[in-house]
Amino acid sequence: MSGIAVSPILRPIPRERDDRLWIAIGLSLLAHIVLFTILSLLPPSPPPPPVAPMDVTIADDVGLKAGAPNTTVDPAESKAPDIGNPEDSAPPAPAEEKAEPAPPKPQPEAAPPPKPAPVAKPEPKKPAPPAPKPAPKAQPKPAVAAPAKPAAKPGKGTGSTANAIKPKARGLNFGSDYFKGASTKPSPATGTAPKSATMSQQAAMDIGQKIKQQVQPCANRQVNPGPGAERIRVTIRLKINRDGTLASRPVIVGHDGVDDDNRRYQRQVDDRAIATFMGCQPLRGLPPELYDVPNGWSDFSLRYKLPG
Amino acid sequence: MHWSLDLSPGSTSPLALLLHADIVVQIVMAGLLIASIWTWAIIIGFSTKLGGTRRKIDKFEKDFWKAEDIDAFYKLHGDDELPVARVFAAGVSEWRRSTAGGVVDREGIRERLATAMGSAVAGEADKLADRLNILATVGSVAPFVGLFGTVWGIMSSFTGIAAAQNTSLAVVAPGIAEALFATAIGLFAAIPAVIAYNRFSHGVNRIEARLVRFADGFHTTLSRQLEAKR
Repeated sequence: MSGIAVSPILRPIPRERDDRLWIAIGLSLLAHIVLFTILSLLPPSPPPPPVAPMDVTIADDVGLKAGAPNTTVDPAESKAPDIGNPEDSAPPAPAEEKAEPAPPKPQPEAAPPPKPAPVAKPEPKKPAPPAPKPAPKAQPKPAVAAPAKPAAKPGKGTGSTANAIKPKARGLNFGSDYFKGASTKPSPATGTAPKSATMSQQAAMDIGQKIKQQVQPCANRQVNPGPGAERIRVTIRLKINRDGTLASRPVIVGHDGVDDDNRRYQRQVDDRAIATFMGCQPLRGLPPELYDVPNGWSDFSLRYKLPG
Repeated sequence: MHWSLDLSPGSTSPLALLLHADIVVQIVMAGLLIASIWTWAIIIGFSTKLGGTRRKIDKFEKDFWKAEDIDAFYKLHGDDELPVARVFAAGVSEWRRSTAGGVVDREGIRERLATAMGSAVAGEADKLADRLNILATVGSVAPFVGLFGTVWGIMSSFTGIAAAQNTSLAVVAPGIAEALFATAIGLFAAIPAVIAYNRFSHGVNRIEARLVRFADGFHTTLSRQLEAKR
């Protein structure tokens, strides 16, 4: 087949120019970005329907329960008797007078360990510390106080009182109610508890108001499950982290306004209350100094009611 | 009207919906967005290409049928980068080659001319229809991909309900909204793609028909010329 000349009849078709394609892609990308930015920035088209505002009130009854007792004071007090230097804690002089006169010597044991130290320190000795310590063993305070004082007497001075009592104190198991009473006095002296901020009723109202404002959008989204459900008032307890997020699922601690008509909606109202607070966390702008204090907002209770 | 970027889970802004969605749904949405961008790039490219080509073909044909001398016209316009010019050039070059050594078999020459120009037309139509298949694919597949994303998102939302032991609508509503957004993007990509596919395939068919008509007309001219030749 040597005689056949092969030559193309058709001119090759040039490829489409790439730059034009890239320009088209760029244009298209730009248009998408613009569209999405506009859609993202546009205010939500349907303005939130005018719903009756959610009724959030402070549930003081529950709120007060929530606060943990001031733990900062207790350790300081419990240490003192163990160390054996209770003298440091300021005691009033009057103690001696009472201690000395009071008594016979019912306790022989106390006598042997007389200490030289007595004079200087004993003066400050307070009647309160010695008296209460023995008390726990035998419940009635006054009754026990008498025996205790006698012990002090034999020991020449109040110094002996301290010694005599201390060993006993070590083994004691303070009842919590008793302890509270005792600690109230020393706590100001030690000054360990930083009580700069306290939770007043007003502060609680403010915090409740702040939380209410922030959960309002979520509250407005809740739908009334049925007639009468809006009469149910739910007391909800929030455990809040310092950063404003919820530490756990809110707990429903009580109901109000439940009657035969709306009893079957109770569960749904509970769910909506929980969803309201879950949906609009973290809560912002709560005063940090009121987080830890007794009844602070680390554990906060509110009343919730469906709009309408 | 105030402008604000609201990215909270409950917002309806597309960006928020995309950011809060499940990872699979996010991938689906990203893929559909890329498909949409690619679709629109093709649409832009096509509309400029088809419009320009049609106009140039009009001008070329007008000039061609007015031309006195085909050889002179070929010298002038034979190298144009234009579908119709390439069909024309295919006919002319086949004519020249066939008649170079004297006319022996007129029927054979006619057939060769027809074949050469026919294949040129087919090649041009092929070239014009390039990337049209992408539009067809996006148009038919994007809704299904979006639907897949939605089904997946709703599935994970319901799993969330089961885990939370909470049937409240507010708990699942954001997840379902995000999932449905995948279908929205799928339709957003598919609808223009389907419209553009129909429109552009129609445009390509019309151009192809014009090329065929031109080739037929040129073929009759050459055929007539062949009668006179000896």
